[in-house]
Amino acid sequence: MHWINWVIVAVYLVWVVGDGLKRAKGATNIEAYFLANRSLPWWAVGLSVVATPLKEITLIGTTGQGATDGLKFVQFYFGLPIAMVILGVTLVPFLHGAKVYTAYEYLERRFDARTRSLTSLLFLLSRGMSAGAIISAPAVVLSAIFGWPLTWCVALIGVPTVVYTVLGGVQAVTWADVKQMFVIVGAVLAMVTVLVMRMPVPLDDAFAIAGAAGRMQVFDFSFSLTNQYTFWSGIIGGTFLMLSYFGTDQSQVQRYLTAKSVDEARSSLLMSAYWKIPLQAMILLLGVLVFLYYTFSPAPLYYNPAHQQAMAAASPGTLDSLTARYGVVTTARADAARAAAAARATGDAAATAAALDAYRAQEREAGAVRAVALEAAGKVTGQPTRDVNYIIPRFVIDHLPLGFAGVFLAAVLAAAMSSIAAELNSLSTATVVDFYQRRFKTDGDDAHYLAVSKWATALWGAFACVVATYAASLGSLIEVVNRFGSFFYGSILGVFLLAMIPRARALGAFVGLIAGMATVGLISWQVPSIAFLWHNVTGAVTVVTVGMLFSLMAPTPESARAA
Amino acid sequence: MSQRFRENLVRVIAIQVVTLVVLWLLQQRYAG
Repeated sequence: MHWINWVIVAVYLVWVVGDGLKRAKGATNIEAYFLANRSLPWWAVGLSVVATPLKEITLIGTTGQGATDGLKFVQFYFGLPIAMVILGVTLVPFLHGAKVYTAYEYLERRFDARTRSLTSLLFLLSRGMSAGAIISAPAVVLSAIFGWPLTWCVALIGVPTVVYTVLGGVQAVTWADVKQMFVIVGAVLAMVTVLVMRMPVPLDDAFAIAGAAGRMQVFDFSFSLTNQYTFWSGIIGGTFLMLSYFGTDQSQVQRYLTAKSVDEARSSLLMSAYWKIPLQAMILLLGVLVFLYYTFSPAPLYYNPAHQQAMAAASPGTLDSLTARYGVVTTARADAARAAAAARATGDAAATAAALDAYRAQEREAGAVRAVALEAAGKVTGQPTRDVNYIIPRFVIDHLPLGFAGVFLAAVLAAAMSSIAAELNSLSTATVVDFYQRRFKTDGDDAHYLAVSKWATALWGAFACVVATYAASLGSLIEVVNRFGSFFYGSILGVFLLAMIPRARALGAFVGLIAGMATVGLISWQVPSIAFLWHNVTGAVTVVTVGMLFSLMAPTPESARAA
Repeated sequence: MSQRFRENLVRVIAIQVVTLVVLWLLQQRYAG
């Protein structure tokens, strides 16, 4: 990569870390360190709420999904605006009004200490692992693209993030998120603009070609429990997932607990609702545009350089023959795409349909050659060869104008850092407030808890970096992270729903939580084909049902007194 | 609910409807 690109990355890192260090002056007690003294403006909190779940996987994996599967993944987010509105009028007033540090602290006030401890522990387990996965995803890709050791890539992402999060606390995290959102959106818009300008045929024709290859299908109205992304799984399963994530996950709840008031907290959630679907659609569209770019230009047989190198070392003859075959097929595909665009320009419907059919045949042929090549690489490397996460980085490094690769890399780092920082900050909060302060040292002063909080953040950061270094290549990591969370998310949401039902009791909440997780575990073990978005619905419904049954059996305070 | 929340809510609903309609039109025109 050109040195100017590295200068851009370095300027970004100095900007974010430098500002984080400045914020350290304000973090003088744990309320300032964890909640910014509940003083942040709604728009900054809102941008942080948008940035935190916008993981680097979004820029690498989701754009790659756009290139390989088209726009249909956007359905995953259809439930988000609904969830944000529901949370704004239900859970946010409870949590913000209760003046708690963690969402789980509220559960002790409503139920008992064991429900708080269990939910907080589940959060620590799932988020602790996912922080490692979030660092691992871009580190694995950067390592393969630049040929650096994985440890260096983990350090490039992890160390600056840990430094500003440890020293600056939530103030640094939130204001870094604001900057990072601008970097990410700017990078996406710049790349979309460059790709549109470089399109060799009119955009209308290009989209028709993408449509012929199945990349412009957005909505799937089939009611299938096994299809990962349908309109219904997005609306129903997605709403439950987003309710769980934004309503009960400390890494999100802590964002809006820093807002000045309940009203500002609500408005910050609506900002996320406002942007999410258009932004995700734009990111997927970027992937579709990259697919079109490679339709008209020579496409690499392997996007992951490691596959190319492994094949060159182990089976050069096969590599040469596959490369030659792929070159012939992709040239024919480009010619067919140009012919389809030319046919559309004539306005002749029959000729257009025939030309698009011819293009589809070439697209299938190209896909078949690549499938054979990936299978051969899989045999040589002995590892999964799904290379969806490498499409966009390869395109950026090989084809974008000078400076764009630096902006893209800065955006990937920004997305990773914003997610990791929020997670480290919230992991530290849950560790210190829900366990250390609650169970081990109840009489410490503020300076002591502040020092412990910084140590906890640093230790969680070190843990995440270790997990990232040893995590194997996990395929489409965005699904792995979401799937892991979905084992707990729905059930924890169920406990918070119970908390809003006056008749619900502590016993019901605890037993319901265990029953919800057991049910989800059993279903995913026995019927693994069920799409993971539905686990959130199952978990929440089971917890509320079982929880209310046990609550109704438990004695009310009046009956206990009478007995 | 404050005036600002209600205004934001209306904007959120409007932008979602517009986005979904645009996606629907893209699909109708281009998905083969």
